[in-house]
Amino acid sequence: MKHFLFFAVLVFAGLFVALFIRQSQNPDRDSRPVLRVYAPSSFARQWGPGPWLKEKFETTCECKVEYHESSDSISMLQRVKSEPKNRAADIVLGFDQYDLELAQNGLEWRNVKVDSQQFDEAVRPLLSRPSFVPYDWGILAFLAHKNEVKDLPRDLQDMLSREYISSIALQDPRTSTPGLQFLLWLIQVKGEEAAFDYLQRLLPQVKAWGANWSMAYGLFQKDQAKFTFSYVTSPIASVNEDPHSDVVALPFEEGHPVQYEFLGVPSTCQNCDLAERFATLILSKEGQRVVMEKNYMFPIMKSVTEGTPYATVPKFKTVDMAVIPNQAERERILKKWSQMRRAE
Amino acid sequence: MFASFIDSVKYVGHLFPVAFLRIYMGYFYLQQALLKFNGDFLARPRLASEIADVLPGLNAPAWYKVMVEKMVIQHWQSFAFVVLGLEFMIAISYLLGYVVRPVAIVGVFISVNYLILLSNGSDDLFRTFIAVHLIMAWMGAGRCLGFDYYFFKRRRGIWW
Repeated sequence: MKHFLFFAVLVFAGLFVALFIRQSQNPDRDSRPVLRVYAPSSFARQWGPGPWLKEKFETTCECKVEYHESSDSISMLQRVKSEPKNRAADIVLGFDQYDLELAQNGLEWRNVKVDSQQFDEAVRPLLSRPSFVPYDWGILAFLAHKNEVKDLPRDLQDMLSREYISSIALQDPRTSTPGLQFLLWLIQVKGEEAAFDYLQRLLPQVKAWGANWSMAYGLFQKDQAKFTFSYVTSPIASVNEDPHSDVVALPFEEGHPVQYEFLGVPSTCQNCDLAERFATLILSKEGQRVVMEKNYMFPIMKSVTEGTPYATVPKFKTVDMAVIPNQAERERILKKWSQMRRAE
Repeated sequence: MFASFIDSVKYVGHLFPVAFLRIYMGYFYLQQALLKFNGDFLARPRLASEIADVLPGLNAPAWYKVMVEKMVIQHWQSFAFVVLGLEFMIAISYLLGYVVRPVAIVGVFISVNYLILLSNGSDDLFRTFIAVHLIMAWMGAGRCLGFDYYFFKRRRGIWW
């Protein structure tokens, strides 16, 4: 046992010395203030806009940007609330309109000053809450491979056609934002009872309920499903990957749900000025362009889409999701959905 | 044939192939540890982020969840250092064949925690690792092509 303890001490001491030497070779590395950004993985990882924004910001801020990633907004907000004060989040990104109540529960937010002159008409009504600023938005719709589906569906009823049995990849609303958007959209356009009745009839059409967007979209990409539920800008991503892509978003007569992604600065922030400057960078024309191109979402500033494929996306009729269910209501609806699935 | 099957329990094989498995595991852990050391494992709370993501839906005893939330996530830098140190320990021990038995128990401990907290589709890998570490500990895999043989010959005891 003495040998083991000696060995353990030796390894840890060696590691400590190695780290110390590395640190002393770059002494001013950690003396800069750290901007703690809480963001979804899709934002912070290499394929998202996070790395570009970090690099750009660090050239001017004399600070270090540190991303704290989460796979979904609910766990991210819970983390933000549970962090001790000395390591509190400076800025939080990536929660949508359905998470605002959760964000406000038990956490205070600073007002973020923004110049709303350039904002798209679609997002102006959302600026009524000065604490939460939208930084991108998207319209959700069914996607299809147009070469594989003869008559493209035009409304929700068409999706129940016998020829589409086991051919739709959807997302689980308990774990996925587009999945929740889909469920709330049905309730909004049909009413709760009719929506669950519709879902019951839709069950045989569903190939899989993916735990997240990428799982469902993966099935669609690999031609294991004819349809999936995603963003109307997803065909742009598809063309970027394969110029011959035949992916199209289907405009439905019922209208389409809209998702807005927000940023906010908690009042417990340690580097609040830096956080506001980072928000300003995201909302700048340059930042918005990167967010648009990396997140495949619409920017909140109109002029940014000019001359890009985003300007050519057809107009989709949107549904005014005026009634946002509170947490308890949302849980009730999700419980009802789970019961329906269990009885499948 | 059936009697021979029962009789085969007496067969004592050579440790030589197991030594190769041990060295391969050591090399694997060394690679993992160096990746962490040269990357941002100690500078960014990647481990804490991944754990915080799975924690709400974790199927584990309440005391374990509380410990992870209050200690591991909040003191992520210290824990990242400990995890990295333990991985270097396993790597060096398996490569040299020194104190393999106690280190294999450390390997089981790490793999069990990874299985609970970070499996995310890698359940089978961590289960296999647990089995391999247990076999290393059981057989005393450092006795072949390793420094443990020196101590095994002179001291015996359960640790060699």
